Amino acid sequence: MIQTILDALSYGGLYGLAALGIGLVFGVMRLVNFAHGELIAIGAYLLIVTIDLGLPISISIAVTGTAILALLMEFSVFKRLRLAEPSVLLIASFGVSVFLQRLYEVIFGALPLSGQIAPWMTGVIEFGDTTITRGSLVTIGLALVLLGGMWFFIEKTTLGLQIRAASSDFQTARLLGVRSNRVIGAAFVFSGVLAAAVAFVLVTQRGSVDPLFGVNITILALVGTVIGGLGSLQGAALGGFAVGTTISLLNSFLGNYRIYTYTWLFILVIIVLLVRPGGLISNKAVKERV
Amino acid sequence: MSNDLLQSSQLPGVTRFQWQQLLGPIVVVVIVAYAASSVSASFAFLTEGTLALLVMVLALQVLIGNSGVLSFGQAAFAMVGGFATGLLTVPVRIKENVLDELWEPLKMINMGIYPSLVIAVAIGAFLAFITGLFLMRLSGLAAGIATFAVLMVADNVLFNWKLIGPGPQVMPQVPKFGFIDESIAIAVLVMIVVYLIGISRRGRLLRATREDALAARALGASIWRLRVLFFTASGGIAALSGAMYAHHAGAVSARDFYLGFTFTTLAMLVIGGASSVWGAVVGTILVTAIGQLLLVFEGGVTLGSIEFTLPNGVRGLVIAAALVVILIWRPRGVTGGKEFRLPFLSRT
Repeated sequence: MIQTILDALSYGGLYGLAALGIGLVFGVMRLVNFAHGELIAIGAYLLIVTIDLGLPISISIAVTGTAILALLMEFSVFKRLRLAEPSVLLIASFGVSVFLQRLYEVIFGALPLSGQIAPWMTGVIEFGDTTITRGSLVTIGLALVLLGGMWFFIEKTTLGLQIRAASSDFQTARLLGVRSNRVIGAAFVFSGVLAAAVAFVLVTQRGSVDPLFGVNITILALVGTVIGGLGSLQGAALGGFAVGTTISLLNSFLGNYRIYTYTWLFILVIIVLLVRPGGLISNKAVKERV
Repeated sequence: MSNDLLQSSQLPGVTRFQWQQLLGPIVVVVIVAYAASSVSASFAFLTEGTLALLVMVLALQVLIGNSGVLSFGQAAFAMVGGFATGLLTVPVRIKENVLDELWEPLKMINMGIYPSLVIAVAIGAFLAFITGLFLMRLSGLAAGIATFAVLMVADNVLFNWKLIGPGPQVMPQVPKFGFIDESIAIAVLVMIVVYLIGISRRGRLLRATREDALAARALGASIWRLRVLFFTASGGIAALSGAMYAHHAGAVSARDFYLGFTFTTLAMLVIGGASSVWGAVVGTILVTAIGQLLLVFEGGVTLGSIEFTLPNGVRGLVIAAALVVILIWRPRGVTGGKEFRLPFLSRT
């Protein structure tokens, strides 16, 4: 029972982190970034390839590399699509996503690359007769720290204030002197850092990485961002958390029918979208004007 | 500028029926298909598969090109079409042996390819109608994500529910088309239907809602009704594409119509140009040709004394890059979103 709750919380935290990464970028430029999954994948690849250098070095390489790739995406593709509408951006990010998947296939091969990152995380801690995995505790801790850090950054720093301003009304923010390209660049960097954190947790759980490593969690986190309320950062984190915990709980309670978890999840998603097209925490900038 | 991909570049006058706009793409498809399939047996097989993809791209064009609503979910209806025609045409003996968990009445049914295609289209269109009733209230991003959710639900159900299909396995022994002419004829038929739907009164009205929703509503157009209608048509055509694919490959499984299929067909439409039948045709032919060329290189090519081999994955890489580049530099696709026209005949 405790393990079920902890699992739900750690899943929720993990998906919340992924959704916040997507939500940050969406907020400032209306881009639902499918290619976030490939940021997660490069983080995992870098961790596995460099793990022999020791965990701290490996983690810093992964974080830096992921942030750089995020910036590269912005400079090479999305910067050139500033005036395109959201659905065009969505298709473009789908293209970037497939491009990077194939690039990983060319560089690292189509087969999974395996490696042990932080094997102590798969161990268990016993409290009397209940056992809980260390991984879920670490994940919850990491999620709390990062979400707290992001909260501090967004609420208490100037750049965070600018990101918030740009999220709620991009044009007005620009007119008031917010430097748009810098804000968007910052959003991409932080989304890369969050992707690296997600990569760390996922790769310790699975012990291997392949070109499609990040696809699954991205689809779910993206859905979380959307139902949480596009354009609202709390909404994105909450939406991701909701999706993660829902999956974990559905998995526990559906028993043998857990193969249909996604069916129920996505039916719920459609219902939420129909009732509240702007998401649970809605933002006026997302609404269409007719 | 902001709306380039989904907005038509055509002047209102060009939406009148013009023979060259319809016959041009048809002639190109027929000639290319016969030419390619006469090269070798494997090219004929490829051509047949490409014609199924063309029908899928046309299904996307009917919806996205006319309404401007982005859908990632049409592959769900292709999946349904493929499964329906598989269940209706696979011999009873095979179903009893391989698909033992199948619902009894479904095991007993057996019919020819053509009646089964009709039923597959009807089922696809019906499901699209039901889905559309709900989803077509949404637009923009919410529509994109909701249609994506439809694909996920369809994949999850058809991948697991053994009462109505093979589950995670492949449904084998689907009867194949006898001749390439059959696929060509179906593709031509779909091109005619899609073109006529596009220039019909409702098609023009729907395009008006895409250009200016407020003005179109002032003219009395119900955006929702029009979108549901076109979503239904698109679902039916997508189901036909899935069924054609099943009769082409001789087998069908849920994963044939998942993210890869969605990406390929969407890329074809965007690269060719979403707002015209001609764009769909050009995109399909172009992407297939590039893919084929790269496939040859992946297998290794000897030029003089040097052997070139491209690693696996380069094909998808190039096509994805082409999609992104087109979106940046030529958002209306290589055809500019225009219908086919002969330069020396056009009066505009």
